[in-house]
Amino acid sequence: MTTTLAAVGFAEPWYVQIIKSVVLFLLAVQIVPVVLLAERKLLGRFQNRYGPNRVGPFGMAQPLADIIKLATKEPFQPSTAVGFLYALAPVISLLTALAAFAILPFGDVATIFGQEVGLYGLDVGIGVLYVFAFGAIAFYGLMLGGWASGSKYSFLGAMRAAAQLISYEVAMGLSLLGVLMMAGTLSLTAIVEAQSNMWYIVPQFVGFLIFLTAGFAETNRAPFDLPEADAELVAGYNTEYGGSKFAAYFFAEYVNILVVSGIAVTMFLGGWQLPFVDPPGWVDPFVVLGKIFVFVFLFVWIRATLPRLRYDQLMSFGWKVLLPLATANALVTAIVVVAVG
Amino acid sequence: MAEVLFFVAGSGAIAGAIGVIAVRNPFYSVLALVSHLVSLALLFLLLRAEFVAAAQVIVYAGAVMVLYVFVVAYVGGQDEPLGPRAGSGLRVVSAIFGAALFLELSVATLGSGLQLIDSGGRPVPAGFGSPEEIGSLLLTKFLLPFEVASFLLLIAAVGAVVLARRRGGLSNAEEQARYSAMDILRPAYTGTMAEAVGERHSLPPGAVVTKTPAEAKAAAEAEAEV
Repeated sequence: MTTTLAAVGFAEPWYVQIIKSVVLFLLAVQIVPVVLLAERKLLGRFQNRYGPNRVGPFGMAQPLADIIKLATKEPFQPSTAVGFLYALAPVISLLTALAAFAILPFGDVATIFGQEVGLYGLDVGIGVLYVFAFGAIAFYGLMLGGWASGSKYSFLGAMRAAAQLISYEVAMGLSLLGVLMMAGTLSLTAIVEAQSNMWYIVPQFVGFLIFLTAGFAETNRAPFDLPEADAELVAGYNTEYGGSKFAAYFFAEYVNILVVSGIAVTMFLGGWQLPFVDPPGWVDPFVVLGKIFVFVFLFVWIRATLPRLRYDQLMSFGWKVLLPLATANALVTAIVVVAVG
Repeated sequence: MAEVLFFVAGSGAIAGAIGVIAVRNPFYSVLALVSHLVSLALLFLLLRAEFVAAAQVIVYAGAVMVLYVFVVAYVGGQDEPLGPRAGSGLRVVSAIFGAALFLELSVATLGSGLQLIDSGGRPVPAGFGSPEEIGSLLLTKFLLPFEVASFLLLIAAVGAVVLARRRGGLSNAEEQARYSAMDILRPAYTGTMAEAVGERHSLPPGAVVTKTPAEAKAAAEAEAEV
């Protein structure tokens, strides 16, 4: 037995795997404040104001100030809360978000200091199912947080969030089915390789739109941000959370945005590949990061543009529009793949 | 590493299973079942069955248990702990089934002769347990059970709809009133006041509303009973 867990393309030594985990963790920790600042700055510009501009040059230290503020707050919990679950729930959210982040491929196998290293956390044969598995566990982060808070608002918010997550997860999975059928594999790196001639956004444009819409709902972003509709529904599952526990939820949400963007880049936008040019291997991670940031901009753009849906609209849209559309897309793709291949 | 993971997952699975029946609070009982299922997924991973492990987490821990958590969180609570309500007949039957299962598993375990207990296990062919392998097996060797299972799921889905209709949960007339062909012509729910109170959003000018929403609902219910 060379590998105990899911098989990788080639066996990397244990120290490479540990270094990769640390690097990926640090990468996620470093990107999230950048995304945070970019969102607030862009939102400011969309709304014809400056955005944060007080802390540091151009307000660039604002995320740092936010983090220090949240981390130094007094730990507080409602007297009705269930202690250990209340503390455990944000951890589940954070853990699953970071675990899902590990699967994003940032490049092909590269040789660093004479050692072959895959520029991804892990390349499992089940590919995108890995992301969905951790998405399924992430549900318990929200649910337990809302339940363990011992507050009606939190509980109802958690129910709202959970119903939304499971509704849109179905359409999200079905929308990727077309890509998987065209690539004939589940491995994310192999899917990127299969797009060397044409990015899948061209033949799978419907699937891309469905995935993007469901992705907005899965990450609780506008116009589907009902789980934390701060203006009218007293936030949601995180109402009773403050300080570093709230920061963990917040952090997990932004990592989830990166994961959904990364999956979209991998599945539809050719991953690390660029059209017409073939840059050297070390450029690949920057290409992927650049494409991810295009999606982050899109997330902010949509948030600044569209109003929030009502809850019944959200549900009927997910089940009556997105799901049939995704099913039809998968069916048509299957027929075309069989007819052409 | 594999040994450590095996003992972690194995004791997690046993502890979760005991927790399901030992804990009095139904919510914790469901959580124990979730941890049991996740531990089982870990054991599947150790057996090189990646796809089964992922399916285990997505379907059981993710989809089935979500409904359990929903129901228990809404209706059950700490106020109503589970009590020993089973009658003596049920106890006897459950003991018989438990003993039968134990016997079956013992025979299966001992039947293998325990020859591989100290080795790394049998070598597996390349691609074993991968989605490709399982997919081709499902569509060739196990096609009939696969199709039968899909019919079973379809029947269950149809049955759920029929039961919901019988109880008046889904009123046909109300559905039709809310989703008409006009929804395609005009963007639905563009935010009129009429929509907010449940009226159709695209009444022609001068149209007379003959039924209030309450009357329409009552009529629909009367129709459903007939």
